[in-house]
Amino acid sequence: MTSDRSPRIRPQRLASPLLTRRAMLGRMGALTGAGLLGPSLLAACGGDDSGGSSNPTGGGGGDSKALWFENWPAYIDEETVALFTAASGLDFKYTEGFNDNASWFAKNQALLAEKKPIGPDIVAPTYWMTGRLISLGWVQELPLDKIPNAANLVPALQKPDWDPTGKFSLPYQSGMTGIAYNISVTGRELTSFADIYDPAFKGKVGMLTEWRDTVGLTMLLLGEDPAKATIDSAAEALDKIEEAANSGQIRQFTGNDYMDDLASGNFAACVGWSGDISQLALDNPDVRFVIPEEGGMQWSDTMVLPAGAENVDNAAAWMDYIYDPENAALITEYVGYNSPVAGVQEILAAGDDLQKALSESRLLFPDDDTLSRLHVFASLDEEAEAAFEERFATIIGA
Amino acid sequence: MAAEDEGDRTKRHAGFVPYALLSPGMIWLILFFLVPLATLLKTSLSSKPSRFVPDVEFGWETSNYTDALSTYSEQFIRSFVYAGAATLLCVAIGYPVAYVIATRGGRFKNVLLGLVVVPFFTSFLIRTLSWQAVLSDNGPAVSFLDRLHLMGVLDGLGIAENGRLLATHAAVIGGLTYNFLPFMILPIYVSLEKIDLRLTEAAKDLYSNGWQAFRSVVLPLSLPGVFAGSLLTFIPAAGDFINAALLGSPNNSMIGSVVQNRFLEQGDTPTAAALSFILMAIITVGTLIYARLLGTEDLV
Repeated sequence: MTSDRSPRIRPQRLASPLLTRRAMLGRMGALTGAGLLGPSLLAACGGDDSGGSSNPTGGGGGDSKALWFENWPAYIDEETVALFTAASGLDFKYTEGFNDNASWFAKNQALLAEKKPIGPDIVAPTYWMTGRLISLGWVQELPLDKIPNAANLVPALQKPDWDPTGKFSLPYQSGMTGIAYNISVTGRELTSFADIYDPAFKGKVGMLTEWRDTVGLTMLLLGEDPAKATIDSAAEALDKIEEAANSGQIRQFTGNDYMDDLASGNFAACVGWSGDISQLALDNPDVRFVIPEEGGMQWSDTMVLPAGAENVDNAAAWMDYIYDPENAALITEYVGYNSPVAGVQEILAAGDDLQKALSESRLLFPDDDTLSRLHVFASLDEEAEAAFEERFATIIGA
Repeated sequence: MAAEDEGDRTKRHAGFVPYALLSPGMIWLILFFLVPLATLLKTSLSSKPSRFVPDVEFGWETSNYTDALSTYSEQFIRSFVYAGAATLLCVAIGYPVAYVIATRGGRFKNVLLGLVVVPFFTSFLIRTLSWQAVLSDNGPAVSFLDRLHLMGVLDGLGIAENGRLLATHAAVIGGLTYNFLPFMILPIYVSLEKIDLRLTEAAKDLYSNGWQAFRSVVLPLSLPGVFAGSLLTFIPAAGDFINAALLGSPNNSMIGSVVQNRFLEQGDTPTAAALSFILMAIITVGTLIYARLLGTEDLV
């Protein structure tokens, strides 16, 4: 829980497995109400039980058929998992225990430091955690020669800041952070991040415990560049957030559970992730998402091989599979985030009506103007990161 | 005194059998309580050179304690106030319930006790999340109270804030009360159940009315149950963070939230360990004082 709290607990991207309309039509019968509720509730509390406690020998040394991918909750469609398992003939284990970067790191660091297997062969840390793992030497190089489809990676994400050589990670999905709001509560469209601090919404505003997003957006509002953030250049933004928390402007700092609060009207507006809202909006047209006029944040979740991972070739087969645009398009239809694979938009545009509508969505395929207004938070060294975490923790009262 | 000494001597002659019988428990206690406690103490006096690497370096870092106390005194105080309020509410709600079940339950005693416990077969998390739904701004509780024009009154009393029930002190205390209530009811029930009802009859024979009989016979005899119940309620409530996280705002966070954040989010094990020790110390001292005040040391 936390932070990505938890309780917060906590911490989790896309915990609520709302389905896209298409997926909903196709798989309605397979999912019971209880089945939908369970993972969402658990994830919402940061109660990740499978995350770090994985049996360290579970990877199965030498078992050439085994592959285990531990991903964020509700971040894939069941069809892709089934199709890949059938096509590859592998004994593919797909779990959703990656709930929170920081907790995952805290639980696994002892094994990672000794380069022992932690269980999963592939995990899905967010870009800044990927950068940390790479600089600590706790992940291994990808066998890129066995992943020919990696050539489909969009140019903007090749050799990114967090992985300057591009040899250690492939993005799984990317997304935008902006303002999510419920227009039935706000009564008006929001355009600026200043609206989040509007006293009219006192006690009805949420922010993310994922502080790079929350601090980054506030920095942009104040005219600072989050891509060059230091604890000093962010001081004013941190003060502003602290004041808003103390005054009661901010009702809660949440992980993925903001979706429930937004849909129910507990939140008038909050910091939110694009994919969540593109899914939520299908069921609740009052829920909207906007990149603030001052600019928004951008992030990627990546796929990496922990240093002790044993089934490297099988992992390569998986990565190659989902970097095929046809297969990537299926994931995009379900999760509603920005695919790192080139050609997905074209494939959707050539599909049926629902797919065509998705291919025209600005949330899934932002235009150049939007992209130019997105920022990635600065890479921080250990000391700077500690300073941010400590300060932010006192702001959220923890 | 002399008789006691003699008794001791005979016991000693009984040989190693008692110790053999004790040993599984003792070994368990040493391995799973004392050893981890010592490790925790050591960690709390260590420094952590890098938050990315799990190793800590021991060095009598008492500043971990002073820093933790000065930085988080607010959360400590809040935790004890919330836990105390929840415990009082649990006594106020739980005692009458236990009393009615024990004295008027008749053949339905077991059914009634079952009803107390059954809701707790559901997960702690799910129950707390359900309160989120009940108390939400557009939820049933707020709209009901609104229709009765009571929200303004509650606002004035400081129970609601800005016309909302969720993300308030009251929501967190209410959540704690709800979640720990059975731990109050069951011990009180047990102590009431044990009381020989002929004692109240005797009191009435001696011209006391119903209230006096309760006040000077039943209540004192049931105090061990109240004592046990308040410990079982107060201690976990003081360390809880789920209720504060789900039902509170940033201004309602408790010490458990801080420990969770320090340990799992920041990887700052020394501070987390120091905070845990401070919490343990305060609770231990508090419990001893409480036991003395209630005079129940030899009753429990």
